[in-house]
Amino acid sequence: MTIITLSYTYLEALVGTDKETILDRLPMIGSDIERIEDDHADVEFFPDRPDLFSTEGVARAMKGFLGIETGQVTYEVKPSGISFTIDPRLKEIRPFLGSAVIRGLSLSEEAIQSLMGLQEALHWAVGRGRKKVAIGLHDLDRITPPFRYCATEKSRAFVPLDFTEPMTMEQMLEEHPKGRAYAHLVRDHPLYPLIVDAGDQVCSFPPIINGELTKVTTETKNILLDTTGTDRRAVDVAVKIVCAALAEAGGTIESVTIDGVESPDLAPSVRTVSVEEGNRLLGLSLTAPEMAALLEKMRFGATPEETDRVRVEVPCYRADIMHDWDIFEDVAIGYGYENFDAALPETSTIGEQSQVSVIGGAVREILAGLGYHEVMPFTLTSETVTFDLMQRERSTTALHLLHPITEDQTIVRTDLLPLLFELLQMNRYRELPQRLFCTGDVVEGISTYQKAAVVSCHGAADFSEAYAAADALCRDLGLSYTTAESADPAFIDGRRGDIIVDGSAVGVFGEISPRVILGFELDHPIAAVELDLRAVQAHRDRRDRS
Amino acid sequence: MEREPSAEKRGPAGVTQNEKRLLAVLAGHRDRTAESVAIEMQTATDAVIQWAHLAEENGFTTMIRTVNHTYVLTGEGEIYARSGLPERQLLNSFEGSIDMATLKQHPLSKIAIGWMRKKGWVTIRDGVISRAGSAPEGVDEKALKGSLTEGEGLNDLIRRGLVVDEETAITTMTLTPAGEALVSEGLDLREETGQITHEHLLTGEWEHLNLRRYRIDRLPRRATPGKIHPYQRLINEMRQILLEMGFTEISGELVQSAFWNFDALFQPQDHPAREMQDTFYLAEQTTLPEGYERVKAMHEHGGDTTSSGWGGEWSSRKAEQCVLRTHTTGLSIQYLATHQEPPVRAFCISRVYRREAIDPTHTPEFEQLEGIVMDKEVTFSHLLGFLKEFYLKVGFADVRFRPAYFPYTEPSVEPEVYVDGLGWVEIGGAGIFRQEVTNPWGVRTPVLAWGLGVSRVAMLKLGLKDLRMLYRSDIDWIRDAPVLSADALKSTRR
Repeated sequence: MTIITLSYTYLEALVGTDKETILDRLPMIGSDIERIEDDHADVEFFPDRPDLFSTEGVARAMKGFLGIETGQVTYEVKPSGISFTIDPRLKEIRPFLGSAVIRGLSLSEEAIQSLMGLQEALHWAVGRGRKKVAIGLHDLDRITPPFRYCATEKSRAFVPLDFTEPMTMEQMLEEHPKGRAYAHLVRDHPLYPLIVDAGDQVCSFPPIINGELTKVTTETKNILLDTTGTDRRAVDVAVKIVCAALAEAGGTIESVTIDGVESPDLAPSVRTVSVEEGNRLLGLSLTAPEMAALLEKMRFGATPEETDRVRVEVPCYRADIMHDWDIFEDVAIGYGYENFDAALPETSTIGEQSQVSVIGGAVREILAGLGYHEVMPFTLTSETVTFDLMQRERSTTALHLLHPITEDQTIVRTDLLPLLFELLQMNRYRELPQRLFCTGDVVEGISTYQKAAVVSCHGAADFSEAYAAADALCRDLGLSYTTAESADPAFIDGRRGDIIVDGSAVGVFGEISPRVILGFELDHPIAAVELDLRAVQAHRDRRDRS
Repeated sequence: MEREPSAEKRGPAGVTQNEKRLLAVLAGHRDRTAESVAIEMQTATDAVIQWAHLAEENGFTTMIRTVNHTYVLTGEGEIYARSGLPERQLLNSFEGSIDMATLKQHPLSKIAIGWMRKKGWVTIRDGVISRAGSAPEGVDEKALKGSLTEGEGLNDLIRRGLVVDEETAITTMTLTPAGEALVSEGLDLREETGQITHEHLLTGEWEHLNLRRYRIDRLPRRATPGKIHPYQRLINEMRQILLEMGFTEISGELVQSAFWNFDALFQPQDHPAREMQDTFYLAEQTTLPEGYERVKAMHEHGGDTTSSGWGGEWSSRKAEQCVLRTHTTGLSIQYLATHQEPPVRAFCISRVYRREAIDPTHTPEFEQLEGIVMDKEVTFSHLLGFLKEFYLKVGFADVRFRPAYFPYTEPSVEPEVYVDGLGWVEIGGAGIFRQEVTNPWGVRTPVLAWGLGVSRVAMLKLGLKDLRMLYRSDIDWIRDAPVLSADALKSTRR
């Protein structure tokens, strides 16, 4: 999530109204106010709206939303005559470049802060950590066009931003904080990307760091923008959003020729949407002019055409508009979420429980009736708990996490009993008897199914108690079963039984082996049962067939 | 009220049959000893004292316990009483000085040399012991000779194990005026019956029994009924609400392909949520379902909708990887793919996984609730209607809505509910599934969808500060949690 700092004086100056009015309505365009401070507010915006990642962008949207200035802002782009060339060797490294020149700026400290915040936010939300896009802003008056975006030897040295001494690019990856943070994006390439001017002065080492030479300050009047990256679309989006923000800050935008192609193109795209479709989606009955007015409030260019159509000009910075329904969402926001009727449809439907819940519910009723307390342990566990402490062989079908966070959560549970023992362990200083049960998902291979398990821990817990619980559980689940001597090493020999239904072992019960009890740091006898609940449905199906 | 600690059954006046018998014996006497009462009542002294304690608690008797000390010489003490303490005997065995080696021949030397030094009767230099001063008779010797009266000398002898202190206690008891009043009212001393038996009922004897009366001013011993987990109960309440609202419950696999978990939801393949920092990836892979090409087309260029898609190339390999489901929305889409005919209302409350370390407010697995409504005429306004109704039934009367963003819905909305003490709390997310999500599966009508983290609701409703309590429960919390929750009976029908 992206949190943007909005300085009140700058915001009020841009919007033309007081901060209370702005902050009061701000959440209703889609934001979450995190903190309100004396001179600024920190506000979270959603990742689909990178155009709101600057004070300038927020001000533009709020002017429309508050009705101060509606409709589309058009950004005129004049050619600057400045050109850029791209070194073909960058194709495998960082092939795409976008650029623009912004003139006539007079940036306050707040405006510079806002621009730096925008840059950072775009690096994450659009640039995916500078991989897809990295943005550089340069004081144009310190350098001489034409510019070159080239692939360079790592030994090339220059003074990086906020440093006083030159260092090599290779050194920067080791020693400069930004270098260390983003080294992984370039390290494996034999050559590194670099932007230089006509006099071979370094502007930037994208996506790592700018040169100190072109640092933007409150003195800066004219800016050269570079955006480089690995994704054409993301590079274009970033250029458009930064240019639009700088235009809001008072600059005029000029294009740059990149290998013969003009950048940027700040022209809106056009979509013609159906008013009827929008009304049907939102549950409104707007006319075409009403819908157009709401879109103007959301800073689109919108013209009603015929009764059912609105021609929408989508500003260049609205990268989120992919589909007509994206436009309708803006209609809804313009209309105000708080102004919608919350209605229920006329259609009637009949609900039904899932089979898993029906069986799980029966298990709960039976076992709670027998006096057991339900617990709901995690499904993530470890082989140590599931197999080793249980004195059981490690299973080959247990599902392993590729990147576990902790040693005690490396697999998805295959059984429930080990987790019940863990719960007894956590509660070992609580009063006995403790009778616990659990029912829920286990995974074998990649298949999910359900089991139920029961433990009873107290001085007199024995085979008979386990057998009685297993018997009650099976009988009340409608399972006709037989028993056989079990070989489960978690239980005591001669005090363990397998539950056999339709010829297969589907469960086990008996007295738990002292090795298991002591392994879980417990010190009282335990009677236990575990049952595979797949047996319940299978048994029914078999009986129904016969 | 105080809880009854044992199974001791008591009548309303708090007077057991044994107490009554005791009171009758005490009547007309003062300061009777427990022993004499025990003899008269033909029982043990301890039993009498226990009954007297009960009667004292009820204000019917007073008891005085007097402790007497008797000092008795031990065997060793008796010998020394006759022939003097060992150090005195040893001192008397020589005049002036004596060689240490010689003195050690004396049978009492082992005990006595140390005491002589301690009492300052001798000095030892270069293996020679010399008498020092007159060695007057000490308080211990006086006590040993005399009548063992209490004092410093006696204490010394007790410490040396020559005398033991034999404690004897005498308990005397007297009726209080209240006890006397109770006796003069007349005590029913007939044999009491605790349990009515089968025979009593058959013979009619029950009519003549003197049934022991029970006290009701104390709580009984604590029984702990078997219980469904408080969290499961809350989940069941929510399931009940959705079933009442006409929703069909669905369930499914914990392991999902990235295809169903992400791609089918129009989550771009480079979306940060798909990275392994946030999602539990598995080594397993699955084959893609029939119709996956339509999802691929949706990602690359928007398929047959007005969407532009995400652009770029969609990778089957990424989609085939298995993950532990990060939400249940993938289940909803699979359900829609096989139930394309409206109307559909479905829900699911199931465990989902996020790659997060465990702390009081985060767990790597938790329950998510998800509801979908697919119907011909449903709109955004109905979505808000379902949300309002659902949250109202869950117990949140005030709900408001804010614009939001989720990759698979448009429009999207974040509901907030008002919670006393916390203010407006964001609770879940909702929206209408994008056409990019529904179209590949032949679903042509809008699908309203909403979801919320059930464990968060549990924290609010069960008053928990730590999510871990749900999964690693303290058994006493489960034992104490009421079955009928505080707001379970509130009607939501206006």
